Amino acid sequence: MKNQDLNINKEYKYGFTTDIESIRAPKGLNEDTIKFISNIKKEPKWMLDWRLTAYNRLQSLKEPNWQKPKYPKINYQDLYYYSAPKSASEKPKSLEEIDPKILETYKKLGIPLVEQQRLNGIAVDAVFDSVSVATTFKDELTKKGIIFCSISEAIQKHPDLVKKYLGSVIPLSDHYFATLNSAVFTDGSFVYIPPNTRCPMELSTYFRINASETGQFERTLIIADKGSYVSYLEGCTAPMRDENQLHAANVELIALDDAEIKYSTVQNWYPGDKNGVGGIYNFVTKRGACRGKNSKISWTQVETGSAITWKYPSCILQGDNSVGEFYSIAITNNYQKADTGTKMIHLGKNTKSKIISKGISAGNADNTYRGLVDINKKATNSRNYTQCDSLLMGNKCGAHTVPYIKNKNSTSTIEHEATTTKINEEQLYYCNQRGLDQEEAVSLIVNGFCKEVLQQLPMEFAVEAQKLVAISLEGSVG
Amino acid sequence: MLKITNLKATINEKLILKGLDLNIKPGEVHAIMGPNGSGKSTLANVLSGKNGYEIEGEISFNGMDLNDLKIEERAQKGIFLAFQYPLEIPGVNTNNFLRTSLNSVRKARGEKELDTLTFLKLIKEKAKELNIDEKFLSRQLNVGFSGGEKKKNEILQMKLLEPKLSILDETDSGLDIDALRIVADGVNSYKNKENAFLIITHYQRLLDYIKPDFIHVLSAGKIIKTGNADLGEQLEKTGYANLS
Amino acid sequence: MKQNYDFDIEKIKNLSQEEKISRKKNLDLFYKSGFPSKQVEDWKFTDLNLILNKNFDNISNEVNFESSKDFKAIENFEHNFIFLTNGKIISTNFDHEEKSKILIKDFNQEEVKNINPSNALALLNSALSSGGFSLEITKDYKLKKPLIVYNCFSQDLKNKILNNKNSIKLNEGSELTLIDYSDNNTQNNFIKNTVDTISLNKNAVLKNILIQNSKSNGHFYKYIKSSLESGSSYENYILSSGLKLNKIEIEINLNKDNSSCSIYSALNLLGDQHQEIKTRINHNSPNCKSYQKIKNVLNDKSKGIYQGKIFVEKVAQKTDAYQLSKALIVSDNAEFDAKPELEIYADDVKCSHGSTSGSIDSDAVHYLMTRGISKQEAVKLLINGFLNEVLEKITNNELKIFLEKILERQINGH
Repeated sequence: MKNQDLNINKEYKYGFTTDIESIRAPKGLNEDTIKFISNIKKEPKWMLDWRLTAYNRLQSLKEPNWQKPKYPKINYQDLYYYSAPKSASEKPKSLEEIDPKILETYKKLGIPLVEQQRLNGIAVDAVFDSVSVATTFKDELTKKGIIFCSISEAIQKHPDLVKKYLGSVIPLSDHYFATLNSAVFTDGSFVYIPPNTRCPMELSTYFRINASETGQFERTLIIADKGSYVSYLEGCTAPMRDENQLHAANVELIALDDAEIKYSTVQNWYPGDKNGVGGIYNFVTKRGACRGKNSKISWTQVETGSAITWKYPSCILQGDNSVGEFYSIAITNNYQKADTGTKMIHLGKNTKSKIISKGISAGNADNTYRGLVDINKKATNSRNYTQCDSLLMGNKCGAHTVPYIKNKNSTSTIEHEATTTKINEEQLYYCNQRGLDQEEAVSLIVNGFCKEVLQQLPMEFAVEAQKLVAISLEGSVG
Repeated sequence: MLKITNLKATINEKLILKGLDLNIKPGEVHAIMGPNGSGKSTLANVLSGKNGYEIEGEISFNGMDLNDLKIEERAQKGIFLAFQYPLEIPGVNTNNFLRTSLNSVRKARGEKELDTLTFLKLIKEKAKELNIDEKFLSRQLNVGFSGGEKKKNEILQMKLLEPKLSILDETDSGLDIDALRIVADGVNSYKNKENAFLIITHYQRLLDYIKPDFIHVLSAGKIIKTGNADLGEQLEKTGYANLS
Repeated sequence: MKQNYDFDIEKIKNLSQEEKISRKKNLDLFYKSGFPSKQVEDWKFTDLNLILNKNFDNISNEVNFESSKDFKAIENFEHNFIFLTNGKIISTNFDHEEKSKILIKDFNQEEVKNINPSNALALLNSALSSGGFSLEITKDYKLKKPLIVYNCFSQDLKNKILNNKNSIKLNEGSELTLIDYSDNNTQNNFIKNTVDTISLNKNAVLKNILIQNSKSNGHFYKYIKSSLESGSSYENYILSSGLKLNKIEIEINLNKDNSSCSIYSALNLLGDQHQEIKTRINHNSPNCKSYQKIKNVLNDKSKGIYQGKIFVEKVAQKTDAYQLSKALIVSDNAEFDAKPELEIYADDVKCSHGSTSGSIDSDAVHYLMTRGISKQEAVKLLINGFLNEVLEKITNNELKIFLEKILERQINGH
C-alpha cells in the first residue's frame, strides 16, 4: 500500500495538460509580435513605445553566460510569445464566464477560483499561459483602496502608477532576459497598497504554463506605499513536455517609508524527467527597492522545480534603516541545475540584511549559491549576516558557493558563513532505529535542515512546501 | 571621593538615569541594588566614561569633573570597573595586556614603568593570591575562560592597578560558591581606609561576604532608599516591589 | 586600446631560435588579451590594466643583470641564503648544511612549459622570463636552518617588468623552511611577474614564507603552482605588507592522499596599497586537508582582497577543508572585498568557510581604555593581536620570534 503511494508521488503531480483552444501570436521575436501583443491587450501607445524601446536595446545585448548551468542555445525565433485561452480573449466579467476547463485545471492544482470555495482568505490572481484569467476577492480589497489586478488591467486603469514605477527597479535594458521580458511580457500581477494600510489577506498569483513551444514572460509590480504591509505568494506549475520551455519573468517591488513587503515563492515548474529530458528554464529577474526609510523587503523562496533555475531576488536598500532579507531553499535532483542567490546592495545608513540559503543536491544535479553583499561608503553602521549551507546526497552531484563580499565602510560589518556536508548518517541511523524508513528519515532530516527558511513561509504554503521538499528528494537515497 | 549630583543619562533617546545623587568617601563600601532595568549597569558605564550616553548633572571625583575625562584618563586617575561580562579579546595575550595596562596607569601616576621580569614576578604573586593558574596569563585575553575565571581575572586586574574607586558590576553573577569566596577575599584584602567600593548587585549573596556601609536601592533611574547593611537582608525577604 | 608596453623577445640574451619561436607564441597569446582588466573574472577586484596605465609609461622588458653584489644579510637569525638581483642568482650560502644534499642552479628556461594558458600574466612570463633559480633537496634531507631567498633589485628598473621563474623540488621525506624575502627599497615603480613551481614528493615538508621588508612602489604578481604527493605538507605564511600593488595567486594540487596544506596571511595595508590573495585548492585525492586563514587590516585608502576557492573532486572523499577571511577596516576610505568560493563534487566532506569584515570592536577598545590604555594604543594592541594570531601554529620558537618582529614592523608601517 505504502509503496504504491510513493510511486504515485514520484511522478510530477502537475504534469497534465489542459486541452483548450488558444489564440497565439505568430512564432518569432520581432516588432510585429510585440505590436500583436500590445494590440491584443489594447495597450496605450506609451506602453507599446516602451516595449519597442526594450526590443531595440535587446538587439545590442548578449545572453549572459557566466552562470554555472549551461544550456543549449535557445532559438528565440522558434517560440510563441503569446498564447491565451480563446475564451479569455474577451476578458470574463465574472468567474462564471471563465472557461470551465480552466477552472477545472486550477481545481486540479488545488487553487479554487470560485470564491465560495475560498482558501482561508487568500486572494488569487491566476495566470494561464500568457494571460491573467481571474482575480478573486477584488471587491473586498477595493474597499480598502488596495489594487490587486492583472498588470494588463493596471496599464489601462492605473496608468499613472504603472508609468511611475514600471522599470524603476529593473531598468529597461538591465540584462538580456530582463530586457526580453520588457519587450514581450504578456501578463502578471499588479498590487498597490495605499498608505497606512495593512493588506487584510495574503495575495497570491498562480502561474501555469499550458501551451507547448510557448515562453512565459510575466511581469509583476508591487508597490507598498508609506506605512503599508503586504504579504504576497507565488506558485508555479507546468505540464510535462519533452521540450524545454522558457520562463523569463520580471518582478519589481517598491517599498516606501515604513512599508513592508513579504514575497514568498514556491516554484514547482516541471523539472524534466529522470534523464534530464524536458523541463522549464526558469530565468527570472526579481528585485526589490527599499526606497523609503525604515522599509523592509523579505524574499522567501522554495525552489524545487525547473530543469534550470537561474535567479537572484535582490534588495536595494536605499532608505536609511531599511532591511532586506532572503530566505531560500533550493533542491535539485536528477539532472536539475540551480544557480540562485541574492544581491544585497546597501546604500542607506543603518541598513541591515540577512541571507539564509539552504541548498540540497541529489542525483546528478548541480546546485550553486551565488550572491553579492555590497556595503557602500555612505551606508554607515550597516550590517549583513549570511549563512549558506549545502547538503549533498550521493557523489554524483555538486554543491557550490560563490559569494561576492564588498565592504567599503569602517562602521559596517559583514559576516558570512558557509558549510557543505553530507546528510548525517548518525541521524539517519537514529531515525531508522526508531522505525522510520529511509525516505521518511531523509525527509525529516532535510526538513530540519531547511527549518529556518520554512518558518518564514505563510502557514498555508509551509505545509505544501514541506511536502514538496520530501517529494523532490524521493529516490535520492538508496 | 566621588560626588554625584542630579545625574541624568540618556542613551538612544531614552532617559535611563533620572536624577541620581550619590556621595562616596574614602574607606567606604557602597552597594547598589535594584531590579532589572533600573539603571545599575548604566551607572557603572557612565562612571567609566563609556561612549554613547548623553550626560547631565555633575560627577566629581577627588575634585575633578569626571565628565571632562576620557575613559583611559579615568582609569589612570583610579576608577576601575569590573565588568559584568568581561570581553574575550582573541589574539591579545593576557600578560601583554596586563603589562601595557599597568604601565599606562603607572606612567600617569608618575611612577616608573615595570620591565618584563619585575612585572612577571608581580603578576605571578597576585595571581597566586587569587588562586589563578599561571597558565591563564599566557593565554589570549579571556578567550575560552569560564565565567568564574573571567571574573577572577577582573579582580586580578583590580589588585594590579590599585584603583581608588572600584566599581564591581554584578561580579557575583555566574560564580559558584568557591569562586565567590575567592573574589570576596580579594576585595576584602584590598580594602583599606584610602579606597572605596561601589558594588552593583542583584542579590544579597555577595554582601554576606563583603560588608557594605551603605545600601542604595535604585529603581527607575533614581535612588529611592538608602540604608545600612540590614536593608539588604530586608530586601531579600520582601523584594523590590514593596519599596516603591 | 591604448598599448602601454613595448615588449621585445630580442632583448633577452642567449636564446636559441627554437626558444624564440615558442616565446613568440606565448607573447602573441598575451597580446590577444593584454593586461587583464576587471572584466576578467579572476581580476574582478584588481583592475591591473587600469592600475598599470595610471602608474606606468611604456613598460619595457629590457633588464640589466649586472649589478652590485653586496647586500645586508639579516642578523641574529641563523640561516642559509640565496641572493638574487632582479631574480638572478648572485651568490648562495649553505654553510649550515650538508652541501651535497642541496642542488641549486639557474632556472633552465628551456624547461618552460606553459603553465596556464588562461592566465595572461603567466603567458607573459613564459614569453619574457629571464631570471630565476631551481632548487632541489635530496631524499630525506631536512635542512637544519631556514633558507632565506633575498630578492634585491637594481636601481634602474623604472617602468620595467621583471619576469622570473623559480622551481623548488623537495624529494621524498625532505624538509625545508624557505623565506622569500623581498628587500626592495627603491622608489622606482616597476613590475615583478614571478611564476614559482613547487613540487613536494612523498612526506616532504615545506614552509614557504613571503616577506616584504619595506615600503615600496613595486607592483608584484606572483603565481605559485604546487603539487603534493601523499603525506606531504605545505604551509604558507604571507607577511608581504608594504607594496603598492601585490597579488599573490596560489594554486595547490593535493594530488595524493593524506597530503595537507595551509595558507596563513597577515597584512597591514597603509596608504593606497592594494593587495590581493587569490587561492585555489584542488582536492584531487581522498583524506586531504586544507586550511586557510587570511587576515587583513585596512588603513587609509588601502584595499584588501581575498579570492579563495576550494575545489573538491568526486574522488576526494573525507576532505577536510576550511577557509576563513577576516578584515578590520580602520579607515572610512579603505575597502575589503572577498569571494570565498566552494565547488564540491564529493559528498563525504567537511568543507566550510567564513568571512567577516568590519570595524575594530568598539567594546574591546572601551575595555582596554577602562584599564588606562589610550585609544591609539588600544587600537594598536588589538591590531597586533588580530594579526599575530596567524603565527600561532609556528612551533619553532626562533622562527616565531623572527616573524613576530617582521609583523610588528609592518604594523608600525615599516
